[in-house]
Amino acid sequence: MVKYTIKRILMLIPVLLGVSLVVFLIMRVFSPDPAPVVLGEHASTQAMQAWREAHGLNEPIWLQFIDFLKNAVTGNFGVSYYTNQPVSNEIMSRFPATVELAICAIIFASVFGVLLGVVAAVHKNTFADYASTLVALAGISMPIFWLGILLILLFTGTLHLLPSTGRIDPMLQPTGGTGLYLWDTLTSGDFEAFGNAVQHLIMPTLALSLYSMAIITRMTRSSMLDTLNQDYIRTARAKGITRRRVIRHHALRNAMIPITTVIGLQFGSLLGGAVLTETVFAWPGIGKYTVECIQKSDFPVVQAVVLIIATIYVIINLIVDLIYAFLDPRIKYSKEEG
Amino acid sequence: MKNGNIKKLSALILTAAVIGTAMTACGGSKRASSGASGSNSGTVALKDTFTYAQGADPRGLDPAYVDDGESAKVMCNIYEGLLKYSKDSTQVQPCLAEKYEVSADGMTYTFHLRKNVKFHDGTPFNADAVKASIDRQLEPNVSDEMPYASFVFGSIKAKSGVKEVKVVDENTVEIDLFSPETPFIKNVAMVMAAPIASPTALKANNGNLNEKPVGTGPYKFVSWDKGQNIKLVRNDDYWGEKAKTKNVVFRFITENSARDIALTSGEVDAIDGISASDVSQLTGAGDKIFSADGMTINYMAYNVTGTKFKDVAARKAFSQAVNVPELVKSLYKDYATPATSIMPFFMNAGSKDVKSTSFDKAAAKAGLAKAGITSVNMITYSNPRPYNTVGGQVLAEAIQGYLKDVGVTCNIKTYDWTTYKSVVQKGDYDVCFYGWTGDNGDPDNFMNLLDDPDPSMNVAHYNNPDYHALIGKGLTTAAGADRDKIYTQCEQKAADDNVWLVISHAKNLAAYSPKVSGYYYHVTGITPFAGVTVAK
Repeated sequence: MVKYTIKRILMLIPVLLGVSLVVFLIMRVFSPDPAPVVLGEHASTQAMQAWREAHGLNEPIWLQFIDFLKNAVTGNFGVSYYTNQPVSNEIMSRFPATVELAICAIIFASVFGVLLGVVAAVHKNTFADYASTLVALAGISMPIFWLGILLILLFTGTLHLLPSTGRIDPMLQPTGGTGLYLWDTLTSGDFEAFGNAVQHLIMPTLALSLYSMAIITRMTRSSMLDTLNQDYIRTARAKGITRRRVIRHHALRNAMIPITTVIGLQFGSLLGGAVLTETVFAWPGIGKYTVECIQKSDFPVVQAVVLIIATIYVIINLIVDLIYAFLDPRIKYSKEEG
Repeated sequence: MKNGNIKKLSALILTAAVIGTAMTACGGSKRASSGASGSNSGTVALKDTFTYAQGADPRGLDPAYVDDGESAKVMCNIYEGLLKYSKDSTQVQPCLAEKYEVSADGMTYTFHLRKNVKFHDGTPFNADAVKASIDRQLEPNVSDEMPYASFVFGSIKAKSGVKEVKVVDENTVEIDLFSPETPFIKNVAMVMAAPIASPTALKANNGNLNEKPVGTGPYKFVSWDKGQNIKLVRNDDYWGEKAKTKNVVFRFITENSARDIALTSGEVDAIDGISASDVSQLTGAGDKIFSADGMTINYMAYNVTGTKFKDVAARKAFSQAVNVPELVKSLYKDYATPATSIMPFFMNAGSKDVKSTSFDKAAAKAGLAKAGITSVNMITYSNPRPYNTVGGQVLAEAIQGYLKDVGVTCNIKTYDWTTYKSVVQKGDYDVCFYGWTGDNGDPDNFMNLLDDPDPSMNVAHYNNPDYHALIGKGLTTAAGADRDKIYTQCEQKAADDNVWLVISHAKNLAAYSPKVSGYYYHVTGITPFAGVTVAK
């Protein structure tokens, strides 16, 4: 197990190198020159040239890449071209918003996705099955942008129940802490702010989780159907174990391995920033910010964000693989398997 | 009780607690607005927080380091300059300087500073502070990252603008110029580069106040949560009339429709960056619209050094093919004025007398046939711009339609704005779309675009010695009727030479709740909030 984990961690290196190289080349080759954006409308050609020189943009691309790697290894991602602030500060000020939304969305998607999937599998070819399949189909088909606007029109425009934008009422915003407002307000005992943060989270969570929920529902249904047809399930029932217990302890636990993979992958992609959800609900996360930085050719920020997100994605995959062993003790990461 | 039941009960209690607190917050009053409002307008109770939504975070909050409108809107509430613009125009009036004098040769400006003014950090405002704020933007201190430094203060290396800032005494500053430059006085009132920052804060923050702004304005900076909001609080030690609302919150909502909904649902009190198509929805919901002439020009430029539009006759014929008033009405409804001159009329009254080329389909057809023009390469931008809210492609396609009627095919290439600016510099086009948002309200700021040697500014590549002479004369002539005449001559020269097809002057559009009083959007694009109140 330890050997397997170390091996997987070492495999991160070529993956992250590859990702960095691709992003670096795309930004350098296809993005517009950042100099006019940074220096403004009144900048002279000479000033722009001097700026490029000072920021190493006139060096050969391979040399720029090596410089970037050298700094990245030490955790130094440089300074944003546009705001002149350290990239790590810019990212960390937005990352908690993305993390909080992703956690809420994946919890919602997992709970309801697994529930719908189990109901559909257990009641195969009944109304419950068709209804959950319909929900899954709707979740996969509906564009997030459109769904977000519909939710806003209903809950804000018509019912006046929920706020449409932001994370919290600015005057209730917690200071310091982790940046995860639910946690910060709850631990400080500020229940008014906590309630306000919950209100702000409801619509973005719904919009963001629907797609993941649909995927999880479909995977749960097919995995559960496979498991329910196994001999040991029939045996368990024959032994007199209640149906509910068989479903929860025998079928679902065995069906969870592929579902866990899907949940892990979905969580990884949610952490990468949900650009559309963040845009519709003015959610101050990393996805929207990265798009803005791509438009401004802010190379250091885009490179750093992609590298960080790739790292998180790969680490989550690793964690998911390790969870397999917990879910199914038969799985061993032995030499033969490695 | 069984273990499973305890778990279920705990889950139920937790869920009920979450829903309960959410509903309490939903129906309950907000902490900040439930306190004493400090109502000072008779019987109307006022909120103590004004919330404003704009499209993006500021680039930064140090006037020396930014060039964007989003920064300007926040900074104008925190900082002040020696002079400021009057509420309805770009006429300058006293601010941190109580008065000023200009020497007879137009090369020395003496500012008499207001006494007993303090920065938000307690540092006294004086002549040394003025000198520090300007000197950091002159050689050898200036850096490439100061986008407006050379525009406002010039360059010692290039021997333009400010030569030296002299501290005469505690409350008097003398600024010497290399040569007379009449626009300088308007530059001093700008929100970019010109405001005076606390020298103590500059020292403490390595000369950059982007994250920790300290000025003398009616509001003090409290916090900036990136992507979310900036909070300001009233400066109770302000030298002038105190701000009417205690707190100001700037929120950043990128999507136009999301900003509209935030206003109609009462999450924010005012918004900007609205498009003409949103107006009816907003007024239908009971909100008010602020609409005033903006300091912009939206134009199409001919490449006068190219093969097709070298001759004035060809340019004139092309311009005659486009029915500009009809086009503007169709694209911008009532929220842009069809242009007949480069400058909006409020900048120079003489612009009204300029005779420009007008729509004449028959003449256009004949003229273009004579010039042998059957196809034209157009380049344009995709993004909406402050002077063209529908974006360059929509505008180009509309003009393509007019030209089709006179037998000319327009091949349009569209680029995102950042790429477009690089493409324009190469000059590989017959016609391009561009625009300008004025900086300081001085006619030179608009008219010298056609005399700029930089191809990214002078996209028509116009180079006319007579025009150049007029611009030089205007730069040094003292403000007044004689100077205005010079710029009217510039306007007429550009119109006669058909260098640009001037299209429209966009209006500044914003919307606010009917509970808001005192809101206005200045012609330069700034939003001073000291006079704003919000009824409960």
